Amino acid sequence: MAKKLAFLVNCEACIGCHACENACKNEYQQEASVRWRKVYPMQEKSFDVPVRVHVSLACNHCEEPACMKVCPAKAYTKREDGIVIHDNEACIGCKLCMMACPYQVPCYDKNLGKVTKCDMCAARQDDGELPACVKGCPMDALAVIDLQEEKYQKLKASLPGYPKNEITHPTTRFVAATVGKQIRRGEE
Amino acid sequence: MDKKNVFSRRAFLKGSFTAILVGTGTSLINFDFPTFRKITAAELSRLKVVQSACPRNCYDTCSILSTVEDGVLKKVEGDPKSSFTRGKLCAKGLSYTRSVYSPDRIKYPMRQVGRGSGNWKRISWDEAYTDIAKQILKIKKEYGTTLPICLNKYSGNLNILNYGIEGMMSSIGDTTRATGTPCWPAGIDAQTFDFGTIYNNDPEDIVNSKYLIIWGANPSWCSVHSMHFVKEAKKRGCKLVVIDPIVTQTASKADLFIQIKPSTDGALALGMAKYILDNNLHDAAWLAQNSKGAKEFFDYVNENITVTWAAEKTGIPKEVIEKLAREYATTKPANIWIGYGMQRHTNGGQNVRNIDALAAMTGNIGKSGGGAQYAQLQTWGFQYNAMVQKPPSGIESKGNRSININNFGAEVLNAAEPPIKMLWIACRSPLTQDPEPDMVKKAFEAMDLVVTADMYMNPTVAMSDIVLPVTTTFESTGISVSYWHYWLALNEQAIKPMYETKNDVTIAMELSEKLNELEQGSCTYPTSGDWDSWISKEFNPAIYKQFGMKDWQELKEGPKKAQTGLIAWQDGKFKTPSGKYEFLSENAQKDGHPVLPIYVEEMQAPKQYPLRCLSPHWKLSINSQFQNLDWMAAINNEPFVEIHPKTAQKYNINSGDKVSIFNERGEVNLVAKLTETTTVDTVVVYEIWYKDKKININTTLKAIPSDMGKKATGMPGIAFHDNFVAIKKV
Repeated sequence: MAKKLAFLVNCEACIGCHACENACKNEYQQEASVRWRKVYPMQEKSFDVPVRVHVSLACNHCEEPACMKVCPAKAYTKREDGIVIHDNEACIGCKLCMMACPYQVPCYDKNLGKVTKCDMCAARQDDGELPACVKGCPMDALAVIDLQEEKYQKLKASLPGYPKNEITHPTTRFVAATVGKQIRRGEE
Repeated sequence: MDKKNVFSRRAFLKGSFTAILVGTGTSLINFDFPTFRKITAAELSRLKVVQSACPRNCYDTCSILSTVEDGVLKKVEGDPKSSFTRGKLCAKGLSYTRSVYSPDRIKYPMRQVGRGSGNWKRISWDEAYTDIAKQILKIKKEYGTTLPICLNKYSGNLNILNYGIEGMMSSIGDTTRATGTPCWPAGIDAQTFDFGTIYNNDPEDIVNSKYLIIWGANPSWCSVHSMHFVKEAKKRGCKLVVIDPIVTQTASKADLFIQIKPSTDGALALGMAKYILDNNLHDAAWLAQNSKGAKEFFDYVNENITVTWAAEKTGIPKEVIEKLAREYATTKPANIWIGYGMQRHTNGGQNVRNIDALAAMTGNIGKSGGGAQYAQLQTWGFQYNAMVQKPPSGIESKGNRSININNFGAEVLNAAEPPIKMLWIACRSPLTQDPEPDMVKKAFEAMDLVVTADMYMNPTVAMSDIVLPVTTTFESTGISVSYWHYWLALNEQAIKPMYETKNDVTIAMELSEKLNELEQGSCTYPTSGDWDSWISKEFNPAIYKQFGMKDWQELKEGPKKAQTGLIAWQDGKFKTPSGKYEFLSENAQKDGHPVLPIYVEEMQAPKQYPLRCLSPHWKLSINSQFQNLDWMAAINNEPFVEIHPKTAQKYNINSGDKVSIFNERGEVNLVAKLTETTTVDTVVVYEIWYKDKKININTTLKAIPSDMGKKATGMPGIAFHDNFVAIKKV
């Protein structure tokens, strides 16, 4: 059976340092506004006590990619292993995919006049290397997993604030952050 | 698989072509667009991987592997050979290609007509050297000394060869020096009084701790690599406690976060000490063998301290202090990481002494997994050949004149007999990093000549007469060590200097040549020398022994770690006058401090400025570096202030409002970010230099000294976090 590759984002290990974002930039030398991976702060109100918790998101390599559905140029394909690939050659820069993606993943590169997107470092993976973000994370908070494996079935497919996943069925899985005890000063 | 590769290659070719076409039209840089491809043998031969070493003022001082293709720096990665770097870099390190190829690099020497006017004209290096050398010689002739020339160089590049800037100054005669350090001097003095010097365990040893208190430090932002070892310790059963005035990123990872009233850390430590004594949890055997003045300290604690008092002082409930004290004293080994943030107060050094005392009385010193970690200079025993230079013959040196780096503007203006007439600024941006930047600006305005060596057009360069473009790490050579971990790394030149940039030692050599051309014998700085010889001159047998090397060239194989001394004070031989841990320090008393680690009162907010403004480091920058790059700006480019929702409500402030933070010194306008990570009496503005934004929190900061720093660094530090402000909606 073919693999079903997905990102695993461990918010418990993540320290919100943005190294993953810049590891991606460093690998692909993108224009500044092109952010294939982004670190989002979660809202304080999602937790019992105020904490700084982050979620690092890149393309979710959805099972039913909205980008692929709407693309008039047929620039999107989903590989057998689940990676959603965007063909820069075919792209006409119409930005429909950017509007369709619930996760704001595709980025418009103003220098290219086209859209670009995280491909889970498909070429690196084909060479037996980890994606740049996974390799670069100082806390080892990112991983690529095969969702076909039994042990990953119980992982969370969503977190508070994450757009509904029924539409595109993103493959990204999460380990939620646990929050410790806080002794706060009186707020008189 | 075949199909995939065909697809990949086709996409790459097209992508590459497009990128180059666009690139030539819009920028100086032609990056390939390296998606979807297999590297061919021919391409491999054009690729080389070079060792680099991050020289920033940072705990982590990373070993880097730089990939260079056809003379272009393509990417950087952490060097897996360093067990501290572990093949990883932080967000700042990973932006290095952008710092090299930023369109904002200063490309050639320039002269500005009218400081701050922006009226810059390109000049040649020869013109720059001639202007500078003539001014130096004119000053020397007019005043009969070179003391009117003042150097302000600090930590923007801690490469050992960069101390050649100081060397250049020494080689013309006596000069005035901005002396001291803004960062950490109060804590250094405190540990110097207690232990004899600063010396921390190998941070990789954190994994052996069973109890870890991170006290006033935020390694998640300022030492990301250390957080791996903290995580590993937790995995092995260590409890992580974070003590901080705000819920930092590190506090968010703690098993227990304790919010303390700023600047009362010593009161908490003493309250814990009292509980430990009352319950006989101290290590009497260790104290008897290794300490001086334990009895006097215990008498002070017993007579003056109650846990109830500590609770009132710190805002932490009594039972929390008691439980913390019990856990800390009974879980062995227990480790305290003392941050630099908590010593940036008028009682900061004394607070560090209070905390050191806790570690000592529980016998946690000299042990794996234990310690009172602050910093170390054990691996810094270089020759400082580039730094130490002789004055010209015939000049009788009476020594340099020191002025306080932490009150730079005022001290430059107040210097007399002779006055200061010329500034040389390197590896620093006083106009963004110093307190009272308006005063610094006045000092710049009063000069006959201001020379700044830098990479980017920052507010300090903008107030200079001549700017000298300097190289990045990747365009130069050097050696870097950390003040935290125990690795030593060589920085090989990865690429040729961009544009007309030069490194500081080259600038020194060429300026020396010019000075001697205009007046033979006026400068002793070498006028030539290859990099191998500059580097080899920094080494000595002691360093070779420490790192298990015979020759520095072995560093070309990879970074090396010190082989000895990885557990601080394991031999029990303290560097204090008594050779013991000194609760009672006559050296402290001699310098005007309390002889014992007693409590020294913290500063209180004045009525008209009721909010304490903390200005900690930011995750995307280190002091004035990195946040100016467009990659960082893409993540955040909006200066903001963190305000507690209740405080915001009081001042009718909503999230996203523009607010003014002000006091009698100055004002900054920022966007309000409401968060309960802070408290009602504290606002947080991260100290950041944003490109093209005239926002500098130090505008509100007075040059109030911290209590300590003079002994070890020559000058006291700054009480950065004793800054009190008011807030209003604008």
